[in-house]
Amino acid sequence: MVVPILSLRNITKTYPGVVALQDFSLDFVPGSVHALLGENGAGKSTLIKTIAGAVQPDSGEIHIQGQQYRHISPAIARAHGIEVIYQEFNLVPTLSAAENICLGETRGKKLVDFQWMNQKARELFAQFEVDINPETLVRDLSSSQQQIVEIAKAVSKQAKVVIMDEPTAPLSTHEVESLFKIIRKARDAGTCIIYISHRLDEIFTIADQVSILRDGKFIRTVSSKDTNRNELISLMVGRELRENYPARQPASSITALELKDVSGNGDSNISFSLKKGEILGLAGLVGAGRTELAKLIFGAEDCESGQILINGEAVNIRSPRDAIRYGIGLIPENRKEEGCFLEQSIRWNISIAAIRQLSRMFLIDSKAENKLATDYSTRLQVKTPSLQQRVKNLSGGNQQKVVLAKTLATNSNILIFDEPTRGIDVGARQEIYKLMVELAAQGNAILMITSDMEELLGMSDRILVLSEGRMTGLLERNQCTQQRILELASGNIDKGNLHE
Amino acid sequence: MNSTVQSTVQSGGAGVQASLELIKKYAIIFVLLGLIGFFSLLSPYFFTQQNLTNIFVQNSYVIIAAVGLSFVMISGGMDLSIGYQMSVVGVTTAVCMKWLDMPIPLSLALGIGSGVLMGAMNGVASVTLKVHSLIVTLGTMTVFQGLSYIISNQSAIVNLPPEFKYIGQGYVFGTIPVSVILMFITVGAASFLLNKTYLGRNIFAIGGNEEAARLSGINITVTKVFVYALCGFFTSIAAIVLFARSGSAASSTGPGTEFACMTAAVLGGISFKGGEGKMWGLVTGVLILGVLGNGMQLIGLNTYAQYIVKGFVLLAAVGFDTYQKSMLGRKSKARA
Repeated sequence: MVVPILSLRNITKTYPGVVALQDFSLDFVPGSVHALLGENGAGKSTLIKTIAGAVQPDSGEIHIQGQQYRHISPAIARAHGIEVIYQEFNLVPTLSAAENICLGETRGKKLVDFQWMNQKARELFAQFEVDINPETLVRDLSSSQQQIVEIAKAVSKQAKVVIMDEPTAPLSTHEVESLFKIIRKARDAGTCIIYISHRLDEIFTIADQVSILRDGKFIRTVSSKDTNRNELISLMVGRELRENYPARQPASSITALELKDVSGNGDSNISFSLKKGEILGLAGLVGAGRTELAKLIFGAEDCESGQILINGEAVNIRSPRDAIRYGIGLIPENRKEEGCFLEQSIRWNISIAAIRQLSRMFLIDSKAENKLATDYSTRLQVKTPSLQQRVKNLSGGNQQKVVLAKTLATNSNILIFDEPTRGIDVGARQEIYKLMVELAAQGNAILMITSDMEELLGMSDRILVLSEGRMTGLLERNQCTQQRILELASGNIDKGNLHE
Repeated sequence: MNSTVQSTVQSGGAGVQASLELIKKYAIIFVLLGLIGFFSLLSPYFFTQQNLTNIFVQNSYVIIAAVGLSFVMISGGMDLSIGYQMSVVGVTTAVCMKWLDMPIPLSLALGIGSGVLMGAMNGVASVTLKVHSLIVTLGTMTVFQGLSYIISNQSAIVNLPPEFKYIGQGYVFGTIPVSVILMFITVGAASFLLNKTYLGRNIFAIGGNEEAARLSGINITVTKVFVYALCGFFTSIAAIVLFARSGSAASSTGPGTEFACMTAAVLGGISFKGGEGKMWGLVTGVLILGVLGNGMQLIGLNTYAQYIVKGFVLLAAVGFDTYQKSMLGRKSKARA
């Protein structure tokens, strides 16, 4: 039995309203590639942040090389040779590739030794079999080259544990091959590699063990030799529907929105139709291109080819302004950045998108504005003593209602909800669900993007699954199972169901 | 009204809280009143009708230009070129009147037209280049500088017609200066535009959160170009008031106004980040600087000492603002 280099013992970490990790224990041994697998929100990010010292667990212990910690700081993690390659790059764009790799290292001299740095970088890149000039500034490199610089940096630190979070996302097939070579070399030299990927193929190629997480709990560790795709997927799912979802009326048969072979913003050849009164769930893993599709339909990004039809008529949507005119409304994923004006009042926020309609000539009709804001805040039950209240003082759920009111005020009848309940507590969540169901019953067509499997299954009439910018399936309600959705989301194309 | 509502929401000690909020909100007005009181004590000449009118006359063009700049700042941008815009507008108007013998109204229209055009150019440049407008207007400022000296042929145009000078030097009913009337009209119109029309709303929206504004269907490009053109318009009015007051036109008149306006705007609570600002705050900001300058002159401080004091006043105002915000932040965290 090999002695583990890193052990987690009974780690629990909670965020307000969410248990991210629950009584989690796992060992990592040197000289192995250990994959972590789980759905969106299963706790993988919290796990790696705990190991890297970026978050502090509420309880539990971390053992590294025989030393025992309640929690660790990034400095302690680094001192033990733990290196993390995050999805977002931690490189300095204005420094060269070589300078980035050697950042924080000194070589006993007072002056910077560029020759030595460039030589070191050149050797690393040679190992990777990639052609990157060490003197090129990082901002001038492609994203795959940046990823390789990031990996080279971690490897050059002689790390004992390297955590890689979706390292292959920006890489080409050839580059993935060289990355795997490096990973194997590092493993054989005794490094422990913790590997996170949504791509099951990769896990079978590179990983020795696979640990499955679900809802912040450790499920099982299996050897990649002794398992198969189906087993892994069924270990990832198996969650029960706990929340109550409001009863639904059947959707009508009138098509409100139709996409024909739409491509752009990283998505390609998307075709589906959305009926009045329907809630169509849009499923996929992080980075599958769901928000990108929403922005495309809403005119916030350019459509490269294909056709969008509204009520059967082809339309040309070139800006959000056009989209709103055609009755499309977007409730964006990042409420605070894209949805509301935090410094302004509730009334101001509700009326801003419809302010032109509320004006005669250029003059705002403040009575009409007041009425509009009062009507919507009553209807959506925004909890506030006054409409003068600044939006930044509201809770997440109430902010979401304000954004929804703002969108509805423009008379939208095709509504795109991007992660409608993210960061919202359970009570407000129920209210949002109820509102969505009411809106559908009134004949609005709803496209709902969500990473919450329960919400997806509980709310959707049909589910469209995307994977890496392509459609991999369109499931009727009676065909929807967690297993099926996850299969499609991890890239298995469902040919039979793609065409209605 | 607003502040009372918020404070009752946030805590039980509503009365104290509300009065604190009031003091905070109108702090710069108290500063202005304090300065007036201070200089009235030190100099018998300060609190006289003559001197107070002087302060208004001397600062009316700054207020008008600052109104233009505040539109840009509220939309989240910056315009460094307004000083040289004023220079171009002034010499253009003067050249039309004196050298080309055009009628005064036509000359004024051409001058104002050139200002609007320069503003629109700033707007188009900052929208298409997608660079912060601070950089864009740093460039156009230099362009306008060259333009102004070419138009004026590097010489001063003296003896401007008395009808023109009336705008800067004349009085209505013998007591009210024309320039001050123009200033009040400008401030009133700007306040109306900002608070009562949807264009004003859109300007606040773009400054407050540009992406959310775009996703709310606001046409960012058109609104921004409009804002800069409007800034050019107000700058032109300011230029005409300034040049009419001095009675002659030279390309060196105007530059420097941009910094006076920026200082006043920041004093008056118009954020560099955009999305907030009030006209009364802006006017108070200009008057604080005006009263400081005038008062220090009367008590015999020289110009250079005045610069030092004005600089420190600005730093103190900004520092106080940040300090308050961090205190508020801490309080609301403690409550949560």
